Amino acid sequence: MSTVPTAAVPKRSESNASWRLSDRIGLGLAWLLGLLFCAIAAAIVVYFLVEGIRYLRPNLLVTNPAPGLSEGQTGGFLDPLLGTVIVGVMAMAIAVPVGVGIAVWLSEFGRPTGLARLAESAVEMLAGEPSVVLALFGTILFTVRELGFLSQTSHGIVLGQSFFAAAAMLSLVGLPMVVASTREGLQAIPSHVREASYAVGKTKIATTRRVLLPAARPSMITGTMLGLGRVIGDTAIVLLLLGGTLTFGSANSTPLLGMLRGTGDTLTGYIYYNAPTGDGNQPSKAYAAAFVLMLMVLALNLGVDFVVRRSQRAVRWS
Amino acid sequence: MVAVPATAGATTLFGSGSSAEQPILNVLFRAYNRLHHNIRFNYLPDGGNAGVQDVQAGRRLFAVNTRPPLPSDAGTTYFKLFLDGLCVAVNPANSVSGLTIAQAKDIFTGVATNWTQIAGSNLTTTIDPVGRNSSAGSYTFFQQAVLGGQTQSSNVHPVTSDGLVATAVSKDQGGIGYVGLAHSGNGSGVKTVTLNGVACNQANIKNETYPLFRYIWGVLPTSGASRTVEKFLDWVRTSKQAGQIISRAGAVPAFNKK
Amino acid sequence: MDEDIFLEPDRELGFLERDRGLSQDQRAELGLGALVFVVVALLVAMLAFVLHEAWPSFAHNGIGWFGGGGSVDQQIQAIFTSGDLKTAPVYTFHAWPLIWSTILITIGAVAIAFVASLFIAVFMVEFAPPWLRRILEPVVRLLASVPSVIYGLAGVLVLVPFIGNHLITQGEKASVTPTIQLSGSSLLAAVLILTVMIAPIMIAVFADGLRAVPRGWLEGSLALGINRWRTFWKVGVRTARPVFVAGTVLATARALGEAVMVSMVSGGVGFAPNPVDGLIFFFEPSRPLAATIIANTEELNSPPMKHTLYAIAAVLLFSSAMLSVIGWAAKQPMRRYGVVP
Repeated sequence: MSTVPTAAVPKRSESNASWRLSDRIGLGLAWLLGLLFCAIAAAIVVYFLVEGIRYLRPNLLVTNPAPGLSEGQTGGFLDPLLGTVIVGVMAMAIAVPVGVGIAVWLSEFGRPTGLARLAESAVEMLAGEPSVVLALFGTILFTVRELGFLSQTSHGIVLGQSFFAAAAMLSLVGLPMVVASTREGLQAIPSHVREASYAVGKTKIATTRRVLLPAARPSMITGTMLGLGRVIGDTAIVLLLLGGTLTFGSANSTPLLGMLRGTGDTLTGYIYYNAPTGDGNQPSKAYAAAFVLMLMVLALNLGVDFVVRRSQRAVRWS
Repeated sequence: MVAVPATAGATTLFGSGSSAEQPILNVLFRAYNRLHHNIRFNYLPDGGNAGVQDVQAGRRLFAVNTRPPLPSDAGTTYFKLFLDGLCVAVNPANSVSGLTIAQAKDIFTGVATNWTQIAGSNLTTTIDPVGRNSSAGSYTFFQQAVLGGQTQSSNVHPVTSDGLVATAVSKDQGGIGYVGLAHSGNGSGVKTVTLNGVACNQANIKNETYPLFRYIWGVLPTSGASRTVEKFLDWVRTSKQAGQIISRAGAVPAFNKK
Repeated sequence: MDEDIFLEPDRELGFLERDRGLSQDQRAELGLGALVFVVVALLVAMLAFVLHEAWPSFAHNGIGWFGGGGSVDQQIQAIFTSGDLKTAPVYTFHAWPLIWSTILITIGAVAIAFVASLFIAVFMVEFAPPWLRRILEPVVRLLASVPSVIYGLAGVLVLVPFIGNHLITQGEKASVTPTIQLSGSSLLAAVLILTVMIAPIMIAVFADGLRAVPRGWLEGSLALGINRWRTFWKVGVRTARPVFVAGTVLATARALGEAVMVSMVSGGVGFAPNPVDGLIFFFEPSRPLAATIIANTEELNSPPMKHTLYAIAAVLLFSSAMLSVIGWAAKQPMRRYGVVP
């Protein structure tokens, strides 16, 4: 947009008076719906803010849940909170390497083209797939005898519900985001950068590792955070594959592995359990947990914003 | 949901079944774990009928059911554990204090649809019955004992666990539901009504005058049952400590009365 | 051999590599290709497994699986009870009430959300004052990433009691008893909550598409004297039409697969809401396909029940796959303009 410098540029007056009625209605509708959306969004955010602050006590964050009939007895949600963090970290620990690998292959290599197209469609379909279907598949997959080491086995029965099982299925939920974002980031790098690298004798894989991936790091981080957001927000897989025990039900006494092979819960499962439609029916606890979960999601979003803004100020390939 | 004590365990026993008895079972599990530190329990409250099918399919070691054995339970053996009652509960705002079995049947088969048709009720609203879904032992028990084998009418709101019946009834003035004794006590938000003039409480279950008293059964596979589970069920049936726990939780010990 | 000067490897080739003659690049390509192959094979295996488990239910019912006939809740009950190993398994299942509920809730929510999101996205990208735009954009992104169970919680605690206590009258309840029970959990609650959940997603995608419209095209139109609203509507929105299709498809897939939240507010009974009932139609309870899976997961161990649930999952899987294909195909025209959303 070029501006011709003049002595005095008259302010462009946009008067709607000459507009047709349909245009004015259209603009009015856009304003109305926009403001209505602001109102609803504000209502939702304020509602959970108020209810959350009302019911969130610091001790809820550090006490373990316990079965009980009244509010005072049921404890806090420390275990579900830790469960959310564990399941998120584990799922992304699987999804990020696999996702980056797939993205690099699709973007830099991509032969044979049949496999590339199949992989693209598979990842696209995975992105839109209901997590209920993944959860259902997981219930059968992890009760197979050979995979009993991922959960608990007793007297020949494989439980099939554990952190490993849930994290494995959740990684499929986060994978498409990582692949899409990383691919976008890699494709945004102009081809002359690659050519310059080849010209000085670097191999393709070295170029990718040393030049392209570091440059695409903001996209990778964005994709990871978006995937993590989807993972910690998922309820169906957690309900079916994590066992729903209020506290960690470790498989054995091995410190980390025992816990990961055992059952547990996450914040989403805890909220579902304490909603009026769930067995616990403690809405105050549900509000507090929902507030904490929303703070986590907000933090992730701010992180994404921060990374994106920083990357825009970064190196420009001119 | 179950609270499983996180001890250094050797054996975990997988069970499933009734959600109505879950509060009592949780206390029993904890007490047994304190006696035998290496035995822990993982219990899935998916309903008595679902629990029996779990045992039949070999997915669980034991189940707890709230109805007597049927021919369809082939391959399993039932053991009586203790006595309990299925109460009929209404919202505290409802002034009705007693129903006959015939009235309960009318309500849950859709013949009686308004509280004005029920004597003793101050409400003029529609009756909103709440029941269980078909995976629950209580559902089959109620069907046999009250409905005479008929299926509950389509306006009965089916919920998936016992506690949810009490929740639904406590929130709806015109609500009525069948719920186990453990979930209909003080603090549950509902009040129980007498059936054929007999109140739903421990005393009437003990002397078997309450019409809907029932045995709670432990279910094991006929062949290949685990010795550890058999010992646990024996402990529940016969030991004095288990009897005290059962009685304190509101049910009635059958064979380990003091 | 002059080219070898430029092909210096990054590091010394090991013994085995020299032997096999594979360059670093080729090894990387094989390694990554194997990874992609494994992942794709896993996904294809999952698809095949779901179809295989679902087959008995489809085989027994044929095309009637999708039709109506009988109370679907009673059929589910019969399927479950026949699961013991003595009696012959019962597979009779006519899922029409569930399918109808899914159609009503999904299309209802997507239709409302589409209209609203279109105008809101246009507002946000073009007509909002800069300070409002700075607030709206992060808010839209935040709302798009809020977990669905939180929307369900708000629905159950606020919307459902409101509908139950203030919108449903005794007369309406009396007129439908004893067939169904009207409480606040209804079609209206499910559609409204689902709309609020998918609207931010649609707004974000639409806004991205609208922003990608080349500025010059809009200014050319403005220069010809066409007013701002008309310019944006006729030029911008029309160019970004493929993005609207893609965003709608994405939101539809999300709405279709939303199980947990909808099961909290939609009523939980397999009843097909009847539009002929007039106003009561909006208050009728129902249960879409995904929520049916959640409601019956405890009965998974019963073999016929397992096959039936997998059949429902297969229908969901197939629908979301179709939607993905449509969404992908819809984005192609935009690439032809050279506009990359």
